[in-house]
Amino acid sequence: MADPLLKIEELETFFPIKSGIFKRTVAHVKAVNNISFDIKEKETFSLVGESGCGKSTLGRSILRILEPTGGKVLFHNKNILNYSSSELRKLRRDVQLVFQDPYSSLNPRMSVRELVSEPLFTHFSISKEEANQQVDEMLEKVGLPLEQAERYPHQFSGGQRQRISIARAFILKPKFVVADEPVSALDVSIQAQILKLLMQLQEEFNMTYLFISHDLNVVKHISDRVGVMYLGKMMEMTDTDSIYEEPLHPYTQALLSAVPKSDPLEEKERVILKGDVPSPANPPSGCPFHKRCPKAMEECTTIEPEFKEVKENHYVACHLY
Amino acid sequence: MDNVLEIKNLHIDVKKDDSTYNVVKDVNVSIGKQQIYGIVGESGSGKSLTALSIMGLLANPPLHVSKGSIQFEGDRELLDMSFKEMKKIRGKEISMIFQEPMTALDPLFTIQDQLMEALKFHTKLSKSEMKQACIDIIERVGIPRPKEVLKDYPHQLSGGMRQRVMIAIAMLCNPKLLLADEPTTALDVTIQAQILDLMKELREDFETSILMITHDLGVIAETCQRVAVMYAGEVVEESDVVSLFHSPKHPYTKGLLKSMVSGNRHDDLYSIPGKVPSVEQMPSGCRFATRCPHVMDICHTQTPPVQEVEADHTCQCWLYQEELVKNG
Repeated sequence: MADPLLKIEELETFFPIKSGIFKRTVAHVKAVNNISFDIKEKETFSLVGESGCGKSTLGRSILRILEPTGGKVLFHNKNILNYSSSELRKLRRDVQLVFQDPYSSLNPRMSVRELVSEPLFTHFSISKEEANQQVDEMLEKVGLPLEQAERYPHQFSGGQRQRISIARAFILKPKFVVADEPVSALDVSIQAQILKLLMQLQEEFNMTYLFISHDLNVVKHISDRVGVMYLGKMMEMTDTDSIYEEPLHPYTQALLSAVPKSDPLEEKERVILKGDVPSPANPPSGCPFHKRCPKAMEECTTIEPEFKEVKENHYVACHLY
Repeated sequence: MDNVLEIKNLHIDVKKDDSTYNVVKDVNVSIGKQQIYGIVGESGSGKSLTALSIMGLLANPPLHVSKGSIQFEGDRELLDMSFKEMKKIRGKEISMIFQEPMTALDPLFTIQDQLMEALKFHTKLSKSEMKQACIDIIERVGIPRPKEVLKDYPHQLSGGMRQRVMIAIAMLCNPKLLLADEPTTALDVTIQAQILDLMKELREDFETSILMITHDLGVIAETCQRVAVMYAGEVVEESDVVSLFHSPKHPYTKGLLKSMVSGNRHDDLYSIPGKVPSVEQMPSGCRFATRCPHVMDICHTQTPPVQEVEADHTCQCWLYQEELVKNG
């Protein structure tokens, strides 16, 4: 098997909680807590979980948009956490991010052409003509009419704006893209269009995706492997088919059963979770999920389960296995 | 007639730079007693405007109801009511919950203050009775530690809890009709499942009818008995939920059902080409004509009539008018 493009080892991103007049650090929010996994070339790895589980923080820590507090991120076997700022700048050509909200992530004072060509001018010394040519090619690929290139973001619908964001992220032909909830703000009929576009571009440019989403239906469609996060911890990780057909962790089972059915006649067994996600500043002892877990046992309240391989390529952190 | 609400020929117009554009056209909806009625459509389809016009909360100007009637409990015409009369109905007989529970709650008042406000206005209970009513309803919507939560401010609660508080405020006066405008869109799936279950329970306990407005067909399949599909301000199809999912008639409904992102990775993803037309450029015939895979000549020039294609299943499409088309 090919070497992984990206290897994440024991990554930790903690945010300090400061209190008192001296603003002393009294505790930490463990947004990403000791997470290890790798992403192979041309693969789509998805992270799912409820709001506040740390999935976006993890995505941003990998790109060093947020500084991790511990662990390693190996990109082509080099730890990017040790990169100097000039090395990091070069790395940005290869790694890009697509944001959730196409309304706030585009500068309203820049035209589409300016938005999409900006990364080219930042990273290369390139003539205006060359840049224009590349922008035209990119716009065509993402399905934006060329005659609209001089327009401004407010003149576009949500779906069209997300196409602009994608064009902007992909113009440098990156090797690795983190897509943070790219379709969550869009209507259903538009969601499918954007997902299709992402899959097409992946094929064309041989790209690797880290796809972050709370929508299990979207994830099912686009990913090769899925990781389920809860309170900063990875709970289960395996290939897409196994996670939907044979979820092992009670949290994954509950998440899947909460997805609304697609047919009113479908009889569905429901595991309704009680309560909310606990505050990550004050996580429960033992297994972080034990307070909401329908199968919690004695040991879950005190001993934290280890994240281990229970079947081939199927990792779970649960005392049941 | 035991319908709680009947909307007939509702038209809503918007004034923009001295011209008037139509945004909701000829909507007919009847909600039965204890029924959960769904309106599904994309953003800009006019589903929220329809709900706001029931409450008399349309932003006027620029929006106004230009034609139609909304009858509550058979004989009361909501559109003819004065502001004062509507105030007595809102929150008591018809209440509404919104998508974003943070913006709908006032950040400066405790949960108890916000519950009490509705009680003070609509009932003549004593202070201790009101307090008890607050505790009861908060407990009923499944919030743990009701006495402490009542003293909290909205920002101290999670999104799911806030939506429960919104539902508590809405159900406080035992309304006959609850309008729910995308009540679970801002919530996680696990919390969404909790809230939808709660709403189904409350409907039975309080004998309330619910108008569920959503863009998510999954929520419709999960909760509703009847559905109206809206597109660009028109109801293009209306039927009971099973019939809609199993024999959809309108090409738009078919497209929506097909584009529900589910199934497995290897299936081809379907999407409806194009986008919803803007109000300024509304097509003159069928409003879906520009995106429709079965479009015919007549669709571009004439609006199709609403027709009953099966028992209790109506559809607004020329495809089901073939004889008429042939005869010119």
